[in-house]
Amino acid sequence: MKGRFFLLLSGLLLLSGAWADAPAKMKIVLEFQPDPLNGRKVFDVCARCHMPEAWGNEDGTYPQLAGQHATVLLRQLMEIRTGQRANALMRPFVQERTLGGYQNLVDVVAYISRLPMDPAYIRGPWSEGTPEYDKGRQIYTAHCAACHGPEGEGNAQGAVPRLQGQHYPYTRRQAIAIKRGQRRADLAMQAVVSQLDEHELELALNYVSQLEVPKTDLAPTPNWRNPDFK
Amino acid sequence: MSDQAGFSRRRFLQASGLLAASAPALAAESVRPEASGKGEGGVPPAFARLLRKADLPAPRGARVVVVGAGWSGLSMAKYLKLQNPDFDVVLVDRQASFTSLPLSNPWLVGEISMDFLCHSFFDAARNHGYLFLQATVLGLDREARRVFTDAGVIGYDYLVLAPGIDYDYERIGVEDPVEQQLLAQRYPGGFVNASELLTIRRKIQQFRGGTFLLTVPDGDYRCSAAPYERACTMAAWFKHNGLPAKILLLDMNNEIKIMKDGFARAFSELYGDYIEYLPSSLISSVDVAGRTVSTEFDDYRFDDAVIYPPIRGARMLEEAGIMNPHSPEKTANTDPFRYHVIGDERVYVTGDSRSQPFSRGGHTANSEARYVAEVIAGHALGREVAWRSPQTMCFSAIDIRPMRAISLITFYRYDEVKKDFAFDRTHAVEQWDEVGGRASVAWAEGLFQDMFYE
Repeated sequence: MKGRFFLLLSGLLLLSGAWADAPAKMKIVLEFQPDPLNGRKVFDVCARCHMPEAWGNEDGTYPQLAGQHATVLLRQLMEIRTGQRANALMRPFVQERTLGGYQNLVDVVAYISRLPMDPAYIRGPWSEGTPEYDKGRQIYTAHCAACHGPEGEGNAQGAVPRLQGQHYPYTRRQAIAIKRGQRRADLAMQAVVSQLDEHELELALNYVSQLEVPKTDLAPTPNWRNPDFK
Repeated sequence: MSDQAGFSRRRFLQASGLLAASAPALAAESVRPEASGKGEGGVPPAFARLLRKADLPAPRGARVVVVGAGWSGLSMAKYLKLQNPDFDVVLVDRQASFTSLPLSNPWLVGEISMDFLCHSFFDAARNHGYLFLQATVLGLDREARRVFTDAGVIGYDYLVLAPGIDYDYERIGVEDPVEQQLLAQRYPGGFVNASELLTIRRKIQQFRGGTFLLTVPDGDYRCSAAPYERACTMAAWFKHNGLPAKILLLDMNNEIKIMKDGFARAFSELYGDYIEYLPSSLISSVDVAGRTVSTEFDDYRFDDAVIYPPIRGARMLEEAGIMNPHSPEKTANTDPFRYHVIGDERVYVTGDSRSQPFSRGGHTANSEARYVAEVIAGHALGREVAWRSPQTMCFSAIDIRPMRAISLITFYRYDEVKKDFAFDRTHAVEQWDEVGGRASVAWAEGLFQDMFYE
């Protein structure tokens, strides 16, 4: 009887200990050498929806993936795989059973990031010289440029998306989704979108959509087709 | 008759056009009410239910009634709520639960489970904040904005009709409605409901050899790739099971309608001994008892068959007076960009009974609904929404154990010269592989997730 009581007590102690003192978060860092050749093979699955050029489309239902920083693409793949970024239609396609393990993810983002971009990316409605363009530049410079860069070039190391060359209907839809709480974002991004109303977001994104992409990153013409798919 | 729904019995009869014919007939035949269970004038008391308001909570915002809980209606209901949370959305279907027709070909030959295809309308409604009502629609009164159903009358601010398709047996020479019923039950096409699928699966499992006839309809039938996919998956089944079976594939078209290279190669490379493909086979009659299908030139006897006839927009559109009589598939008379019935911006038609020539299939319906939901929400707020193309992402299984598939994605554009829609960018993968097989399951999984759960 005495022994049993003791066992029970120690069980309670262990339990309360676990509650009071949760184990600290742990991080696992894995390194992979990207292999774009294998990435080309993995990309077959992606191209079934995103098309071989990965250029997205003008209504913004698909983003321009070509030319995006590999780190950004990898982060999106991981967040969609785990459900942190809600995307019901894409999630099953990026699971290990469909797309493969981490090496395949690294390979495919390396491949996509090197594809030449659609030169006919969709710009917002207000061109240079309009008051909306100027207002957008002010907002962009004050609120967005610190992370996304003065030319909308993003930041590869920090996995900050390149906005330059992205279709305006896509960036607009995503920014509004973040503002409405329909898409998660990091704290800095949340803070920025909470300070701007939806029209101000449109103006800022209009401005960045008017910026030029370096010629070397663009495909020669909008009729260019990915020769890897011949 | 005092009625809670606030309209006269005469008006209901006129509007529905349904009881108008049957009620006098019933009255004429009536026996003593107490003996028959029939009420006044020989009309069963249950008919009174038709004239009451349906048992739904009072609308808390503009009410949008969506008729048909297929791929289009389910997506519509969800995205209407997302576009405008103030909409009070009611989804109506005569079925109690959902069985996917996409991916049913792999199911017929045991590649995936029925669990994967079956989903609950209750889950969809619960997860997306709308109401589901199991009811059959009997007619419309567009003037008073009311829908008549066998569960009562529902008023609407907006009405979306996504009733899908019916078979058009007349186009293969079967004109007698009784003959049509018989043919539909003996040799179901498998493109409308779950009983058809269950019957076809038994037919395949019980087949011991001989000629199994399949047909490909002409016109813009539902899911262009599916009849060819079915020929492949069934041939794979017969081949893997070593059955002395031949599939006779009668195609009413001049050639394979979609992914021609892939299917033609599969027919010859994988199933040369199993599939006999006969294009330009315009079926002119079917002898159900004699198990014979005839074209102008030949008669084809079969041991068993799955007869997929041409299709038409659901008959309820014709009964509601909104069918375009000039459309070959008897589709709705709607605005091609904004989907509303011509002259009535409160009633929309989407999904496979749409008027536009977009490929009829699940993904087209889902992507289209996302846009049309924006159009309707925009109409309520006086906001214009730019037209955008639906997308058709289509997977076709070619082989089983393991499943290997081909795929195609296409977008559409409006051709200003021809004044019609045409294919825009297209990407086809016509070499079957296991990646395609896994991707086709991912395709369905994602869409089910979207329509039912998140």
